[in-house]
Amino acid sequence: MNWGATARTILLCAILILLHYTLRPLLAWRASPDFLIIALLLVSVRVRPGLAAVFGFVVGLASDSVALSGFGAGALAMTLIGFSWSRLKAVFFADHVLLNGFFLFLGKWAYEVLMHLMERRISGTELLLQLFVWSALSAAVTAVAGVLALMALRPVLETRGT
Amino acid sequence: MARTSRFTAQVDIWIFIACLVLSLIALALPANLRESVAGTLRRSFVAPMLQLQKSAERWRSAYLASDRVELRKDTLALAAARVPTLESENDRLRALLGFGAKLQWGFIPAEALQGRGRAEDFTVTLSAGSNAGVREHSLVVAPEGIVGLVQTVDPTMSLAILFAHPDFRVSAISANDSAFGIVQPHTTSGSNTQEASYLRSERYLLEMRGVPFRATLKPGAIIYSSGLGGIYPKGIPVGVVLAEIKTSETWARTYLLRPAVNPTELTSVMILTPQRATKGVASVWADLGAVDSATKRIVAAGDSLARRSASAEADARRAAIDASAHALADSTRRDSLSRRDSTSRAPSGVPADSVARARVRADSIASARIRRLRRDSIAATRRDTTRRDTTAGVRP
Repeated sequence: MNWGATARTILLCAILILLHYTLRPLLAWRASPDFLIIALLLVSVRVRPGLAAVFGFVVGLASDSVALSGFGAGALAMTLIGFSWSRLKAVFFADHVLLNGFFLFLGKWAYEVLMHLMERRISGTELLLQLFVWSALSAAVTAVAGVLALMALRPVLETRGT
Repeated sequence: MARTSRFTAQVDIWIFIACLVLSLIALALPANLRESVAGTLRRSFVAPMLQLQKSAERWRSAYLASDRVELRKDTLALAAARVPTLESENDRLRALLGFGAKLQWGFIPAEALQGRGRAEDFTVTLSAGSNAGVREHSLVVAPEGIVGLVQTVDPTMSLAILFAHPDFRVSAISANDSAFGIVQPHTTSGSNTQEASYLRSERYLLEMRGVPFRATLKPGAIIYSSGLGGIYPKGIPVGVVLAEIKTSETWARTYLLRPAVNPTELTSVMILTPQRATKGVASVWADLGAVDSATKRIVAAGDSLARRSASAEADARRAAIDASAHALADSTRRDSLSRRDSTSRAPSGVPADSVARARVRADSIASARIRRLRRDSIAATRRDTTRRDTTAGVRP
């Protein structure tokens, strides 16, 4: 990745993180889009798996610091997702927008599952309802938002060759 | 090249493992240590993000609050708009209740449903019919006076003509029985400016025709039904004289009347049964008038009493303040005299500024005394006033 592409990625990442902390509270939906996950995908497909893991770890730790419980759970989930996405990019990703959307859905849902399992705040039927309804819905909304963002930013973005 | 690639892949895996281990360590940290790490993060590079989040949440709250405020404002405006209607309706219903108690028997209460069409300007639909005992040509009245006459009766409703209907006629008499005439709707357009102004302001007007030339009526005179003609019993208010109008009937006077009842505000009425009308209702309106005037007199008396007590209280306060002002003036005069004496007695060796200082000190003492006196008098007045109010407020 050249310097221009790096600068563009950093800028877009910053915008997405900004959206996460401004647009989400404004919308205040129960299943709102997770712009941190979209930013993680954007970075993961452009950097080496190690760096993607570090980025996931840092972003996860930052989101954990404002959470009430499960400090470290978000970092663990984001590390796993970032590393996996970066490893899988050569096999699956290419530049297919819908495939990106699918992986966004999968990544967000996996993140939610990991978080809820590690936090252990809810259990039983409530946990199932949360995982299969609200988490799935949140993952779908994130995927839609991510696809829209990727389509809008397509002229600016430049995927790293494998 | 392949070795380098394998090396970087191994480095990636080691970094990943390191991140995993760090995450697990963060998960396993004791609560106090975990909180201190999270707090450090919150205060450092997460702080701007939190600030952004806080601002966004504040914007959202402000937006929701503005919506709520707008909603509350609309509700209040709606409620305020309904208040006058409710008040007038309440007054009307109260009047009707009192009126029913005066009539005692032989009446049917009904709601007056007014039509909105042009042809229905002079008729009113009543919510009581033959099932309730309403008969044709039953008299429709309100606490204020004559409303009209029932023309058509159905089992559950009936139709009445208002006094503004072209067919309406009633034999009328003035309160002192000095002037007789026939009251009918005022249909001719006003020729003089006074009449035209009435027509502009009042939609439903009546005229009293055929009043003998020797009988004059002053504006404001109340006109009642005379009981002649057999339909309308004697003593029901028809209207109030506004002015005399010129007509082609030169042998008699014609007066313009403002009707006793305003049809636009008509919501509830009473239908008198023929038996009740035959028995006479003159005493009902006479009593109502007496009660009304007695109420007005009581209210006026209460007002004058309140005014008198308020002026007495103000006088007492003024007297107390005057007394304290006199005392104050006396003490100030005494102080100034003694100060002049002491100044004149001061030895010649005393410097002028020390005399001035002494004068200033004396002035300040005098002013402090004045302030204390004034405060005392005001407190005393207030105490008196409070005691008087409290005593007045206590009821046996």
